[in-house]
Amino acid sequence: MKKRLTLLAQTSFSALCAVSIASGAMAGELNILTWEGYADPSVIEPFTAATGCEVSATYVGSNDDFAPKLAAGGGVFDIVTPSIDSTYALIEAGFVQPIDVSRVPAFKDIYEQFRTADGILKDGKVYGVPYAWGAIPFMYRKDKFDTPPTSIKALWDPALEGRISLWDDKSALYVAARLNGNMNIYELSDAELAAAVDKLVEQRPLVRKYWATAGELVDLYKSDEVWISNTWGGYQSGLLAAENIEVVEFIPEEGAEGWMDSNMIVADTPNEECAYQFLNMAISAQGQEGVFKVNGYSSTNPVAAKEFMSDSEFSALHQDDPAYLDSLLLWENLGDRLPVYTNAWNSVKSQ
Amino acid sequence: MNGALRLKRALVLSPPLLWTFLFMFVPYAILLVYSFWQQKYPTFVPAFQFGNYVQIFTDPQYFRVILRTLKIAFFVSLGAALVAYPYAYFLVFRVRKPGLRLMLYMAVVAPLWVSYLLRAYTWKTILGTTGILNSFLMSTGILSEPSSVFLYNQTAMIVTLIYVFIPFMVMPIYAVLEKIPHSLKEASADLGVGRVRTFLSVTLPLSIPGIVAGFTMTFCLTFGDFIAPFLVGGPDGQMIANVIASQFGASLNWPLGAALALVMLMIVLSIITVSDKFERLGQGRFA
Amino acid sequence: MSKIIEIENLTKTFGKVVGVDDISLSVEQGEFVTLLGPSGCGKSTLLRMIGGFEEPTSGRILLDGQDVTHVPPSKRAVNMVFQDYALFPHLSVGKNVGYGLRVAGMPRREVREKALEALALVGLEDRFDAAPHMLSGGQRQRVALARAIVRRPKVLLLDEPLSALDANLREQMQVELKALHTKMGLTFILVTHDQTEALTMSDRIVVMRGGKIVQMGSPVDLYERPATSYVAGFIGSTNQFRSVVATGPTGPQVQCFGQPISAPAGVAPGQEALFGFRPEKALVQFGEEGGGPDTLRGSVADILYHGQSVRLMIDLGAGEVLVDLPMSGSDGMPQVGDAVSLRVGADKIMVLADEVAA
Repeated sequence: MKKRLTLLAQTSFSALCAVSIASGAMAGELNILTWEGYADPSVIEPFTAATGCEVSATYVGSNDDFAPKLAAGGGVFDIVTPSIDSTYALIEAGFVQPIDVSRVPAFKDIYEQFRTADGILKDGKVYGVPYAWGAIPFMYRKDKFDTPPTSIKALWDPALEGRISLWDDKSALYVAARLNGNMNIYELSDAELAAAVDKLVEQRPLVRKYWATAGELVDLYKSDEVWISNTWGGYQSGLLAAENIEVVEFIPEEGAEGWMDSNMIVADTPNEECAYQFLNMAISAQGQEGVFKVNGYSSTNPVAAKEFMSDSEFSALHQDDPAYLDSLLLWENLGDRLPVYTNAWNSVKSQ
Repeated sequence: MNGALRLKRALVLSPPLLWTFLFMFVPYAILLVYSFWQQKYPTFVPAFQFGNYVQIFTDPQYFRVILRTLKIAFFVSLGAALVAYPYAYFLVFRVRKPGLRLMLYMAVVAPLWVSYLLRAYTWKTILGTTGILNSFLMSTGILSEPSSVFLYNQTAMIVTLIYVFIPFMVMPIYAVLEKIPHSLKEASADLGVGRVRTFLSVTLPLSIPGIVAGFTMTFCLTFGDFIAPFLVGGPDGQMIANVIASQFGASLNWPLGAALALVMLMIVLSIITVSDKFERLGQGRFA
Repeated sequence: MSKIIEIENLTKTFGKVVGVDDISLSVEQGEFVTLLGPSGCGKSTLLRMIGGFEEPTSGRILLDGQDVTHVPPSKRAVNMVFQDYALFPHLSVGKNVGYGLRVAGMPRREVREKALEALALVGLEDRFDAAPHMLSGGQRQRVALARAIVRRPKVLLLDEPLSALDANLREQMQVELKALHTKMGLTFILVTHDQTEALTMSDRIVVMRGGKIVQMGSPVDLYERPATSYVAGFIGSTNQFRSVVATGPTGPQVQCFGQPISAPAGVAPGQEALFGFRPEKALVQFGEEGGGPDTLRGSVADILYHGQSVRLMIDLGAGEVLVDLPMSGSDGMPQVGDAVSLRVGADKIMVLADEVAA
């Protein structure tokens, strides 16, 4: 009886797989789990026209969305685009598969810092193709400040009570730790984390709202609720500029976090051919121009970037300035400290 | 004959039973199993240990958030009852025209067909610094500059949730008031009792089951809500469902999330049990 | 005797519908008055206006000499037994009965005594702590009664109090109500559509139709001398026929479905009127012979067995009449087709006034 049941289960399972493989192959359809702007029609439509690969995108609000969605299983996604702090966990969990870089010719053009980053390598194999990068700077409403803020301290200034916002993310701990003088923000000890929590609890009465999505932060500025916050460099400021609200981004004295997003192929995807096509397109001039135009993020492929950026844009996005990148505290995988950080951040919000 | 009848009964009953089993019992069983597992980088591994429960009962942040959630749920239910009761009373006993009554009833219930998110979002535009309330208060001269006290705090959450869940309060109260025979109020008046005392001694006691039902529904719905904190809550707005969501998401700690969800389920079940007792007491014929 | 209730030109309209149409009526202290009529005749509306539950459109109501037309029910010294009893489901029997007294501020112990006393009057003192839903229909009825009399109202109003009970219980309650009325000496005003109930219990019956009083009087008055065809038909059964009074060999005669019988007193030859006689007033004789004056001849068309009597439908050729035959002895049952003669004396014939167009 038991055997028959298993057999039955196996049969139906493989039947299901066959169906999904068949439909996937026939349509040449890619499901990608990524950030808003990363699957813009201006890029996707030419890609589909050229390759016949249909693309449908699902958007995440946070890096924390990738692992749970993949852990839930179901073989839904073919490509994910996590940031450098989340990539390694996906590799270790076996959610993504190694990439054959010989099938990605432009890989060698990518900044060395990125293509050799620890987060996308394991056992000598490459698991991610760096796509875009930037900083988590701070920004403020230009019309509300006589003297431009230069330090994170501004976000603890009682004079700005009710005008401050901070990303609803463990990143808040990174900010507070730096204010405490702990620059090892990805390796904080329990005591240092506790100090960061205290700092955030102290700040909380001044906070108008912790922002959770890019759109929410834009709304908060638009509706005059918030004057100063951290931000996804280039993105929200661009959206606000389009609304005629002048904000200024700045890297505080205490430094800023940096991030880099890579495209990864989900393990055992039935659409590998399309997936490689997509990876190549993403770091081509066409793909890099897309993310530059839509999100305002910097390119990981300077060779491609030169093709569409003017010289001034090239330097404005720090494409000619590897030292700038070094000055950023590039996000790191927190490993088994991740739940400790998350709980610390939750405990701030539980106060 | 008997066998055929039994087969027929089994055929009729099995789809709902199967449904209940598959979509209620199985998920809870899975949650229960998860709650004993252990987080282990990069995800979590099967285990049988009570660490997750120990963490919930020893780390004060969970107690604080549960307490905050209970408090908000209580105020939402109370506020909803205070608004819904007079409204339902007015509909049942004061509005004579059935058409008008139906219209006013639907005015409260119809928003249920509109997305919860949209309704909650509306309150942002009302309560915000540049919102309708501030504009109104400034145009009437009550305020000289916009106030930020209306939005992004627990009060804003309570107000929004009252608005969102009030149909669940109006419906049972309306139903129970409508069922009170008119003759009872006449009998009370006949026995020399004035309107206020009649309300207190007859109408109110008889409507307790409706109030309890509405209170329970509103309470449980608020208790599980995680959107209001996100939309209109401030830095002190986190509720238990948000914490659970963050365990399943951000910290990829499904075992802890499952344990939290089960604790939450226990709280909700005990609330329903208590309210059931209350409701019976209300229907009970002795006061 | 003094007048406890005086109703003067009372009218109640609901929109365009006239519920009670210019009624004047007075009720004596201690009287048992029944408002009788079919549903929609305005009897309940009249009762509810006396209770204060409906505001009259015009007219006055005096209670014990005081104008109470606009006094709310809570301030009137009348109490009502509701058709659905209206017992408070959340209160025990004792608390239901003591409800008004307690709210009025009477000490708890005294309330209990009074409630027990009232319950004793209806024989339910041992159900003091029971919940209403545990009682039978008849018991609930009695609790409602006890609750209504516990405050010793000047007038007790009863709105179809027995209509929800089954036939046996209803008869028993009629007796009890009447006994209670006698024992307490209260004024009762009862609303019913059941003529038996009205005949059994009332000192006086007020027959209503279309918001107006058609006739009022004692049960005997109404039964023996109904003023109109409507009253005659509503209270008991009546064989009715229309005829012109003619002069016959022995005096004035009327034609009952083609057969002449003596006209009753009070009508003159040449006059046309509506006449009637009660089924039990005809003297029934079987056989071809028999006859003499004031006799109608016919044959049995149908038989309805009632136990103590038999109702026969007699075919008179030009029409049918009903007669009642008491089953006193071992006469044997009549058969359909039997020849029969009915003697209807002039004193048994009623002259019915034409209906006033309502």
